[in-house]
Amino acid sequence: MSTSRKMGAEVVVVGGGIIGCAAAYYLARRGVKVVLLEKSVVGGEASGRNGGGVRAQCRERRERPLAIASIKLWVGLQAELGFDVEYVQGGNIRLATNEERMATLRRESEEELEDGLVVDLWDRDELRRLTPYLSDDFIGAKYCPSDGTANPILASRAFGWAAKREGVTLLTQTEAVNIGVHTGRVASVTARGKDGEVLIEAPWVIHAGGPWTPQLSRTLGIQAPIEPARSTIAITQRMPFLFKEFISSHDMGVYARQAREGRVHIGGVGAPPGTFDQDVPAATIAHLARGAAQMLPGLCGANFLRTWSGTLEVTPDKVPIIDHVDGIRGYVLASGFSGHGFCLGPIAGKLLSELIVDGEPSLPLHEFRLSRFEHPAGQPEASPHE
Amino acid sequence: MAEQVEVAVVGAGPGGLSAALAAAQAGAQVTLVEGYGRPGGQYFRQMAAEFQLRDPLRHQREGRALWEKVLAAGARFLPDTIVWGAFEGNLLALQGPQGPPALEAQAVILATGAYDRPVAFPGWTLPGVMTAGAAQALLKQQCILPGKRILLAGTGPLQFVLAADLVHAGANVVAVLEGARFFGKASRRAGALWGQWERVAEGLSSRLILLRRGVPFRPGWGIVAAHGTDQVESATIARLDSQWRHTPDSEETLACDTLCLGYGFIPSNTLSRLLGAKQEWRPDLGGEVPLRDRHMQTSLPGVYAVGDGAGVGGGPLALVEGRIAGIAAAARTGHHASEAEKAIRRLAPVLARERRFQRMYAALFTPGPGVYEWSRDDTILCRCEEVPQAHVRRTVALGAGSANEVKAITRCGMGDCQGRMCAHLVAHCIAREMGRPVAEIGLFRPRPPIFPIPIAALGRQSANAVVGAVTEVARR
Repeated sequence: MSTSRKMGAEVVVVGGGIIGCAAAYYLARRGVKVVLLEKSVVGGEASGRNGGGVRAQCRERRERPLAIASIKLWVGLQAELGFDVEYVQGGNIRLATNEERMATLRRESEEELEDGLVVDLWDRDELRRLTPYLSDDFIGAKYCPSDGTANPILASRAFGWAAKREGVTLLTQTEAVNIGVHTGRVASVTARGKDGEVLIEAPWVIHAGGPWTPQLSRTLGIQAPIEPARSTIAITQRMPFLFKEFISSHDMGVYARQAREGRVHIGGVGAPPGTFDQDVPAATIAHLARGAAQMLPGLCGANFLRTWSGTLEVTPDKVPIIDHVDGIRGYVLASGFSGHGFCLGPIAGKLLSELIVDGEPSLPLHEFRLSRFEHPAGQPEASPHE
Repeated sequence: MAEQVEVAVVGAGPGGLSAALAAAQAGAQVTLVEGYGRPGGQYFRQMAAEFQLRDPLRHQREGRALWEKVLAAGARFLPDTIVWGAFEGNLLALQGPQGPPALEAQAVILATGAYDRPVAFPGWTLPGVMTAGAAQALLKQQCILPGKRILLAGTGPLQFVLAADLVHAGANVVAVLEGARFFGKASRRAGALWGQWERVAEGLSSRLILLRRGVPFRPGWGIVAAHGTDQVESATIARLDSQWRHTPDSEETLACDTLCLGYGFIPSNTLSRLLGAKQEWRPDLGGEVPLRDRHMQTSLPGVYAVGDGAGVGGGPLALVEGRIAGIAAAARTGHHASEAEKAIRRLAPVLARERRFQRMYAALFTPGPGVYEWSRDDTILCRCEEVPQAHVRRTVALGAGSANEVKAITRCGMGDCQGRMCAHLVAHCIAREMGRPVAEIGLFRPRPPIFPIPIAALGRQSANAVVGAVTEVARR
């Protein structure tokens, strides 16, 4: 029954999450002919199911310049894409319940100020004064005013809609199954959809498949050290305005933001790895409820309305892979964002477009090579998935 | 922590009561969970305690008798208890004033019933527009008249019963609009009424009351719009064609202060969907229903579904389905297993008779697809999030092709009712826009909690549960 179609493109993007859609969008803006392949729907996985945090603080040092640059893009995103993505620069508060955590935040703040990110340390009194809605359990916090939040469902899809408007061919419900290589260079991508098979001839492939990346990259003999992980969010019923910041506490294992329509989103810090399962276990709901009530006593009388899970992907060092891959010209990996892809999406897309069009991206990407895992250094502390 | 039980029954309407009784009589240890304070469901709806001195209606008497048998058989009853989630391993999460936070059952019988089908048309969100079920609950449970000049629109003989009750209680029933037109069809199916003497008698006596009071009955008519500023003041009605679409130039306007809508029922299948039971799309049974075998077992071993929640069929069908499931569930947990097959076979004739009636009823009174075309672009489809039809259509034009995708973008179904009200409205709207069958569009994916649950209560669940979850993940 499989009918075979043939198409041509300059770049095939595999994966319709925020990374793939942003890359396709910025490429199309530069006049590049792009076909985007998405196995399901645009923004339907982690890109549309995350906590909606857009932050530069508390990043691994390698990631920090990317996050700072991405936030500059976020600020102008609504005008750029022509869709309201509910982006608000409401600030980001990272909380501490103990001295050890506070010391870590202090160390981090010195590095951040050095790198040009404005952050502030709050002691207990400032915290009470500035954020009276938070629990008394906290002894201090680090605050970054330029960080913020956006609506993940709308932002990821807005890139897709804008990409389509700019001329990208969006093939949804179409899964890339094979990448053809000819004399050491990418030659084509084969994909399977409900209308049968399609072969797209192209000299470039951007592979932004999130947790599903390894199965396709393996067909090229490339082992991408990427594991799936489940991230779960619970939301309350609509509430009066409580807070505008994105707040998180690693000690309590939860984060929170209040969306524009008034519902408070509560997520868990540290997603259990190794599973594609998106069912929400009862125990996770209990954990989020306890964390929410502990962090924000004002939520004690509120109701949880709904929960959902998404599958994000993690690399061993929790930093993404954005790279040409040695040995196969034209094959670019952009995956393993480890829960940071929502914030980094716009800049990652833009840098990928520069990598292909200009040959040289405006920010260096050599820290994000796949080959770094061949000579592993020490593994840094796990960072949260927001 | 979850309490281990043999048989958990969800819902204490006719199906659930009958299942609990059969399972308990067979010797199983039964826990019956009910969201309301008293048993009975809609069919046996009991009056609030304040009114119990009055002579109860026949259904209420029957319900009371069945209830007393259930208690005598030793079943445990958890009233005011919501099942807010169903998880792998037949784990039911509970929220109520007493009892454990969760049940882990060897067999689960879902008797979750059905709810009134919302139909969207201009003005349907005005105060004074309500479902027939709401009017009946006000009348039967609280002895309150919903209005003074009442227009009934919908389908099925339950409309007669409600109209007769309203007239009896002193209301002026302006008219009863019946969407179906019976000619020919009814007489061919009349055989299914054989043995349904109580139903025939009830229907006839209600009809007689209406005839005697001169209440106009208009088959083949439906609602176009409700009008009013803060409250319904009048309604425009029109003749319907065979698909239940409005016939041009047939409109009339009737003065009324209340509009009771009874366009059939939608099965509550959320729990069986959460558990992962296979479903099928059956407009004749009210919408999406779980697939079941002869023992009322879904595609999941040990998970049974009975009554209207598994396909709308009314109280008597729920009673016999419940009994079968109760026997089968008890047998599964090791009680009277050897006699179960014979006992179930003995119920076959009753089941067949009620299924015949169900088929006849569905053939006559399943609303035509036209009822989903009564909304206009500025008509609200999702009341919680106030999303008009135009927004749904725009989103489909952008490329969204499933209920979940439209939900994500428009917020339809994200509100407090968890999509119960708008799921079918939105699915039909998408299907129409895309020119595809509604079965392919499907309903919103259910997510726990399926009802809003206090954070304080959810957090109270034992810390052991969290440890359990972490080890579970580690094992994978």
